Amino acid sequence: MDAEIIELYSDADMERMRRRVRNGRRALLALAAAALAVCTGLALAANTLTAQRMELAAVAVSTLAGWIVIYGLLFVVAPTGRELAHAGMLRDEERQKAEGTITVTGERVIIRRSIAARRVEVRREDETVRLLVCESRAKALAAAGATAVYTCHGYVAAYQVTV
Amino acid sequence: MRVLKNIFSQLHTFVLWLLASVLFWGWIFTFVTDTVPAKKVTVYCRVPAVEDTAMAAALEEDMPEGLRMVQVHTFDYVMFGTDAFDRGDIFIVPASEDADFVKDLLPLEGEGGTKVYDAATGEGAATEYIRYGDEDYYMYLGSASVHLDDGAALAVARQILAME
Repeated sequence: MDAEIIELYSDADMERMRRRVRNGRRALLALAAAALAVCTGLALAANTLTAQRMELAAVAVSTLAGWIVIYGLLFVVAPTGRELAHAGMLRDEERQKAEGTITVTGERVIIRRSIAARRVEVRREDETVRLLVCESRAKALAAAGATAVYTCHGYVAAYQVTV
Repeated sequence: MRVLKNIFSQLHTFVLWLLASVLFWGWIFTFVTDTVPAKKVTVYCRVPAVEDTAMAAALEEDMPEGLRMVQVHTFDYVMFGTDAFDRGDIFIVPASEDADFVKDLLPLEGEGGTKVYDAATGEGAATEYIRYGDEDYYMYLGSASVHLDDGAALAVARQILAME
């Protein structure tokens, strides 16, 4: 039986995240610019008779567009950017190997200004090593039946499976 | 479900944005739809109700030269500040309150106010836009109006009197 090392983040994953951050930023910027243009147009087109309706429309457009931009930034672009930085760190820095019975627990750990992670325990006869794995990769690790993990600063960076 | 959870976790940010949006565009539209006293004629009506924007738009259709806009307000508009009120150009006030205002107001011509609404007959000026109370109403010019010399205040006042 051969041991295969599977990276938590492949080159394709990295590229997909980079694209998501880049395109997400562009789309949100375009939406914000379009909303600003529409609202400015409404303000310039307003006259005594239409001013109240135009103001209401401008508030509605800017509020909705702003909400979409805020949501996109906070819950799509920023988390992906943080995960990208985290993945870059995992790929570039020195690793250690931990072997044993690997369990992904249900414990969720949120690191401020970083990623959301799940607790991973590597049990050996004499000790249990507690590690973290990025939440988006936890399912894959749990299902892989890994026999060892490679870690970097306490995070799982890759795992070993027997094929 | 996850989207809702995310939204609730940052609800304060979304609410803050809504408030910022209302305040910002409110300020912008006030700026866009207002101008200096020299370029507008302001009408204050001490009446139960007035269709201010419709009446202003109707008056703007035939504005005296040099004006950019006509504004129509009820007295409630100036509850929190009398500066703009003091510089008002045209005032429509009920007969019972004439004495309160007459020292600061000027007649359109001759002496006393010009009757704009007769409670006995129910006939008056601009009744399409103004809902008068159960008494007579009179029109005056503001003593601090900047449109006394150029005749714009008088011209708009005559326009109101000619309105059905």
